[in-house]
Formats: sequence, structure tokens, C-alpha cells
Amino acid sequence: MSPNNPSTIVSDAVARHHTHVVSPHQCCSAVVQEIAAPVSTVWSVVRRFDNPQAYKHFVKSCHVILGDGDVGTLREVRVISGLPAAVSTERLDVLDDERHVIGFSMVGGDHRLSNYRSVTILHPRSATDTVVVESYVVDVPAGNTTEDTRVFVDTILRCNLQSLAKFAENLTNKLHQR
Amino acid sequence: MAGICCGVVGEGDTPAPLEPTPRPSRRRSLDILPLKYIADMPMPPPEALRKRPKLNLRDCDNAIENCDESTGHKVTKKESKVDYDDDVVSETKNVTVSEVEEESPKFGVTSVCGRRRDMEDSVSVRPCFTQGFHYFGVFDGHGCSHVATMCKERLHEIVNEEIESARENLEWKLTMENGFARMDDEVHRRSQSNQTFTCRCELQTPHCDAVGSTAVVAVVTPDKIVVSNCGDSRAVLCRNGVAIPLSSDHKPDRPDELLRVQSKGGRVIYWDGPRVLGVLAMSRAIGDNYLKPYVISEPEVMVTERTEEDECLILASDGLWDVVSNETACGVVRMCLKAQKPPGSPGSDVAADGSDRACSDASILLTKLALARHSSDNVSVVVVDLRRDQRQSSNYNDVN
Repeated sequence: MSPNNPSTIVSDAVARHHTHVVSPHQCCSAVVQEIAAPVSTVWSVVRRFDNPQAYKHFVKSCHVILGDGDVGTLREVRVISGLPAAVSTERLDVLDDERHVIGFSMVGGDHRLSNYRSVTILHPRSATDTVVVESYVVDVPAGNTTEDTRVFVDTILRCNLQSLAKFAENLTNKLHQR
Repeated sequence: MAGICCGVVGEGDTPAPLEPTPRPSRRRSLDILPLKYIADMPMPPPEALRKRPKLNLRDCDNAIENCDESTGHKVTKKESKVDYDDDVVSETKNVTVSEVEEESPKFGVTSVCGRRRDMEDSVSVRPCFTQGFHYFGVFDGHGCSHVATMCKERLHEIVNEEIESARENLEWKLTMENGFARMDDEVHRRSQSNQTFTCRCELQTPHCDAVGSTAVVAVVTPDKIVVSNCGDSRAVLCRNGVAIPLSSDHKPDRPDELLRVQSKGGRVIYWDGPRVLGVLAMSRAIGDNYLKPYVISEPEVMVTERTEEDECLILASDGLWDVVSNETACGVVRMCLKAQKPPGSPGSDVAADGSDRACSDASILLTKLALARHSSDNVSVVVVDLRRDQRQSSNYNDVN
């Protein structure tokens, strides 16, 4: 399920990460964000599995409960108030610094997103522009439709990626000012 | 237990029985948690302490304290600062017999963290904030506290400016809508700037689009009560023993709100209750820029003429209203006001800041009731005494 964006050339090795095994009662989707910042700048933010609150709006705090930042690391994310969850326990599944790929799954918490797995890939479009694609698969909770679930998760991810764009662009501007 | 304690209040009269809890079987197993907190009001002068009559409410307090001891729990609860106008003290001192202006109404405030980890509610009380009008506001923040804090600090100033600029042609609906729109715009501009907030957001990016607040505001004039509401806090008037809602909660599944959200291309998804896009459990709020245009900051404004039968006004966050009905809340406050000594008599308890013992007792009791019924949120309560006999008593009120 590569995005229909002709300007994005995805190698087979990278596209494989966006190929999710989707079971019945699950849904999948992807969110795309263009960022006016070099891929190295964006990646320096995205790869910090221990610090998602740097750019994810809905994360209040995070602490690592197992591991040191490599694959297998577990973190406990505390969510801001007003949302339909308070805590999410997440495992780092993929971290590829060469290809700019990071993936994680939700393994616990008080949310309704069972068997959630996502992969985020950064594509350099030019020396100063990056395209971020985040795709995911998740169970559709009892009582909700596939569309409900997709709207909910896409809203969260879109908000996160827009925040990432602002943060990385600000970071780039600050670096230029020095 | 809280219901039984309430029965003690007003023992000298024949109080109307409190509405029984809708889950009577649960009452037997209620374990009242320790409730050690004090309404945020300055310590009264020693002579007032000495003269303070023994209210029946004390028996209720003692009963609850006994329960505290039996549980063996000692819990310290965080309280937000209630923002009193610094000028109220000097204004009170300047009240004279010849003063034409109506005296400030008596009020009581509580605002407690309760069972949440963080305190995100704010309360703003501004007696005589303009032209003899009085301002009361409750703001229940979500995502963080800084939007509710900004509302507490700025909204009354913005409303004051709108009232001044309206001059003789004061149209309350337009005035309050403009005030709320300017407040929301100020929140948005602040979050877009590089300014940081003195809250945990300072540790992160300054882009705080996912923070917002409810706002329920009452402007009390000599002849009107103007309530403007945005979100799911609430204002209730108690008139001749009857609870009259002066606001309507902006829940996403309220039929007209559901239609409005859908007409803008949004969706209401049931995800732990009805939520806009499955995310936010209210359809209107100050802030929350990421959910515009589905979540708007336009208030619903209700203008009510005051009458001789008006007893009190209650503003509170949903930490109270989720577990206490309008009727029960009015019943509690009426009993506290009845237990009060006649206004103007010697020993009447009026604190220098304008807050009132009976109103404070009422707000404390409502807060205790909410916590006893396992409210899972911050609880903020403002009780305003609207009874008219205060006016004639002002000639004899020994305020100094």
C-alpha cells in the first residue's frame, strides 16, 4: 500500500515496511506530511523513541521501562488529559538509521487500540525537503466501525505529523541563524 | 453518608429532603475518602472568629472527619489559587450608608484537584468588575492548564473592554460572543508565538494546539443575570426552590451540536463516549485549534431577569455536575443559606474579600458531595447569594 504520490520513489526494501498483514476486524491507513527541513534534521527528532513528546501533541510525558533505545525498548507514554486514554505501553520494533525507518507497536495501556502497529519512513525529496509517511494497522474496537477507527487514528497521526513539521522547520531555522 | 450529613443542616427548620442518590444500592458501600482541604479564602480577623456562630454544618464536618479517621488515610490534595480582585478589600471598606451602588453579592468558591493527577481548573471572581456588574467564571482545562489560566486572567478584562465599547447600546449576546472570540484568538496567537507557558508545555514545543478549556461565565447586574457558556461546565439558578439551568452542556451528541459538527465536515465518534473525531468529549471550547472548525469557541448566551424569588446561582465544572443533579445542588445550597443568620444581624459572617461563610460552606459541601460520589475529575464550584434582602441590610451592615 504505497502512497499514490508519484514524486515519492520508494525502494522495494523500504516499501516492505509499509506492507502490513491486515486481518479481518482490522483496518489500516497512512498519513503523509511534507516538511521543509532536511531529512537528517527530521530524523534526529523522529528516531528518539525515548522522547516522543518533543513533537507529539498528545504525549504529556514518557519514560523508558526497558532497553536503551534499540529495537526491543519499551516505553510508557502518559497522554494529556481530555483524551480517551491515559497510558500507552509501546515497544520499538524497527529502527533503521540508514533508511530512516522507525516502527513501534502498542503492547499495553488503557486505550482501545489493540494490536496497533505503525511504521514511519522519511523520504528525502530534496536537500531541504522531506516527506514523512506513517502507516499503521490496528484492530477495530467492538462497537465501532472501520471508518470510525480510521478517522480517530488519522486525526491523532495528522496532528502529530503537523507538529513534527513545525518543530523540525523551527529547528532548521534556528540552525541557520547560528 | 454525605446525604445523611446534609440532613443535619438547617435542623431548626423543616428542610426539604435531599433527592436520594440514583444508585441507592451503592450508597451502602460508599467509603468516603478523606476530604482535608479548605476553601481558598483569607483567614478572617480574630474577632470574627470569636463571634462565629456554631453552624449545624459542623456536625456534618465532624461526621466526615470521623470517617476520615477510621479509614486511616492521610491525603494532601492540591488546590488551585482562586483569583480574587485585589481591590475588593478597599472597595468593601468604602461602602457607606449613602452609597447608591448595590453591595457586592456574597459568594463562596472551592476548586480542588480531586482524583485527577493534575489541576487544570481555574476560577475567576471579580466583584464590581465594571459599572457595578459582578463577574464569576469557571474554566475547566484539558490537555494542560494554561488555556484555563489565561481565561482566568484575561477574559474578564476583555469582557470589560467590550462592555465599555458598547456604551449605551449594550447588547449582551454580541458583547459576550465578541469577548469569547477575542479570548480564543488570544489563546491561538499565544500558542503560535515563541512565548512559553509556566506549565509543563515549557518543556516541549510551543505549539500547544491540543490544549483547551471550557468557559462558563456569569455577569450579575442589578437587574439581570447574563450567562455565557462554551463547553460542558454549567450554571444553575435556584429560584424559589426550583433549579433552573442557565446553560446547556455542549456535548458532541447534543442533536443540534451533532448537526453543526457534521455540517462542517466533521464526525462525532463514540470512543469512550461521544467525541468530536473520537478525540474531544465536548463540541465547544476555548483553544483546541487543531479541531477547528468542528470545535468552536462561540458561547451560548442566556440573559435572565432577576426576581425577588432568586436565591442563588451555582457555577461549576463537570466534576460536580457529572455526579450531582441540578436539583440536589440547589437543595444543598438552600439549606446552607437557611442555616445562615439573618443578613445584617450582629455577627454576620462576611469576610473582607466579599466571600461569605454560608456560600463558602455551600461550595465546600457540594465539593465534598462530588468527591464522595467518586467524581473522577477536578471539581470547581462558585456559589453566589442572589437574595434581595441584602440590599436593605446594607444600610446596617457594619463592614470595616
